[in-house]
Amino acid sequence: MVPRVLISLAVSAMLHAVAARAADDSDADALALTSAPVESTQGTTRFFIEGALGRADQRYQPGWRNIGRVSLDLSGSFRLAPEWRAVISDRLDALHPSDPGADATVNSLREAYVSWQQGSGATLVDLGRVNLRYGPAYGYNPTDFFRDNTLRTMTTVNPLALRENRLGTFVLRGQQLWGDTGVSLAYAPKLASRASAEGASIDAGATNNRSRALVTLSTRLTERISSQFLVYDESGLGPQIGASTTALLTDAIVAFAEGSRGREPELLTRALKASEPRHARNRFVGGVTVTPFPRLSLTGEYQYNGFALDKAGWAAASVGGPAALGAYLLEAQRRQELASRQAWFAYATLKDAGTKNLDLTALLRVDANNHSRLGWLELRYHWARTDVALQLQQQSGRQLSEYGLAPYRRSVQLIASHHLD
Amino acid sequence: MKLKFFCAIAWATIACIACIPPSAFAAPDAQRILAASDAIRNPGQPFTVAVTLTEYQGGKQVDTSTLKTYSRAQERGGQFASLVRFVLPARDAGKLMLKNGSDLWFFDPSTKATVRLSPQQRLMGQASNGDVVTVNLARDYQATVVAEEDVQDGERRTRKSYKLGLKASAADATYASIELWVDAENDRPLKARFFAESGRLLKTAYYRRFEPHLGAERPTETVIIDGLAPQSVTVMRFSDYALRPVPDAWLNPDYLPRFQPE
Repeated sequence: MVPRVLISLAVSAMLHAVAARAADDSDADALALTSAPVESTQGTTRFFIEGALGRADQRYQPGWRNIGRVSLDLSGSFRLAPEWRAVISDRLDALHPSDPGADATVNSLREAYVSWQQGSGATLVDLGRVNLRYGPAYGYNPTDFFRDNTLRTMTTVNPLALRENRLGTFVLRGQQLWGDTGVSLAYAPKLASRASAEGASIDAGATNNRSRALVTLSTRLTERISSQFLVYDESGLGPQIGASTTALLTDAIVAFAEGSRGREPELLTRALKASEPRHARNRFVGGVTVTPFPRLSLTGEYQYNGFALDKAGWAAASVGGPAALGAYLLEAQRRQELASRQAWFAYATLKDAGTKNLDLTALLRVDANNHSRLGWLELRYHWARTDVALQLQQQSGRQLSEYGLAPYRRSVQLIASHHLD
Repeated sequence: MKLKFFCAIAWATIACIACIPPSAFAAPDAQRILAASDAIRNPGQPFTVAVTLTEYQGGKQVDTSTLKTYSRAQERGGQFASLVRFVLPARDAGKLMLKNGSDLWFFDPSTKATVRLSPQQRLMGQASNGDVVTVNLARDYQATVVAEEDVQDGERRTRKSYKLGLKASAADATYASIELWVDAENDRPLKARFFAESGRLLKTAYYRRFEPHLGAERPTETVIIDGLAPQSVTVMRFSDYALRPVPDAWLNPDYLPRFQPE
């Protein structure tokens, strides 16, 4: 008995010593490593070129077709004087095939404004085209009041990537910050009557075709909960209210919700350009982001749009055939609206997926009316200046359902981007 | 005669002992050592520093990135709040991370989105968000002196040290417990081991290359060894220390889209 105990103690001590020795060895190896040279740069400009080539399975034509684009993307911010700076952000997309009725090469002047801020940054004033984006949700943002008509090209279905391409709105905007609280006021005048299909246009008519104003109040309710309250008004439509909140539930879970309420015509009425009384309805999104381990994030959202077609409305609109529903879906896309009354959305990112510098991103949209689905998956490998990505997309569902109507059933694209600055 | 001699020796010994100040017999004050070690890592006034992260896998360099951090101690609670700007690689330039207590926000200038993050979400490669921001350990942890022992420092020299055991005392502390070796001679942090609540070793850090910056000899490199995968090593290099006011507005998430580097 005693020898056994002694043997097990000896083995345990040896294992411990071996483990400690191994740890000491690995520490010694690590301490032999050195830092890369310190590089000095301001990093205030960004310029990259991106190319995409792929194939798409057509729903309304036989077989697959080639798709592709080349994009140039530039953004920068420059100090004009101690309290003044200028911001410019522009993107040029050459698309194949081009969107119906639009030029093949489309420029998007996303931002161009001058900004003044008091030394401490507490008081800010912006004048020019500014990308004002609101709302914590990933797939649909009811409080993002300046979202409609902001996409001149649709180069992806990933809502986070789409935000990179959107046009800002010409505004005069002021912001005042006090500690954990902030108030902002933005006024966007009417500058043109309608959007332009001309590729080189700055397209003020897309974003400034009516006068609009927005007041926001942001505050930190507790150390783990923050909220924003919004009042929006646009000529011809009347005021809308909105609110959003984010909360840190645990070290690995963030919850968020946002909603708005206003009186508007239904989305179908707008698509068909018919006249109909306005209704007071809500838009809402609620969701959580869970991080089970540091490199994996999973987001799930429930989305609701009181102005969109419900199941019965969709069935009724289907009587008009694909043309009527197609016009409806285009209107929803133009306005970045949810096309179905209720929907589910999931978004996942995994960094260093199996190997260093390989990122996986996937999303799924499910129309709760008819269970049609859009799935998208991207594998992206990145070097210091160059990224290569493979994207797969599938849209499926019954005939005359939201995703069952999409012109491409599935597509595959290879994308390469290179940062020049 | 012998008895007298021994009495004299005994009285002399007692007299010598009586002359030694009482503090020389007191156990080292762990919390003081921890605070002194914090003061060596962190300047006492708002400051900015550039951080170069070099990542290694199995001894091979696999990635490098550069950040600039702006930090200041909060009036309430004394913990640091930090704004971190991503400088390199080019695809990440202009991204911002704000840490203010439990509040962790990320701003991407491409999407104009300011997103609340959970502490678990990682923005950088192998380094955690907590590794690149400034932290006052004395504010978040209760320290005890576990041992006085020799330890190998980041430059592989043997140093006499106090080994401190740190237990999280603040709800928003990043780690459940920490073992910290502090140089017995000058309170410099030498080595730390960070543990999860389960007792699992999360990482080991060595502080090295002490250089004079902003009035003290501060570590300009931290070598971080992953606890689960010791072949994953990150060398963090701190450069361009400078005192820099960090206004209240910078710590408000609404300010992130308007942040302009000098």
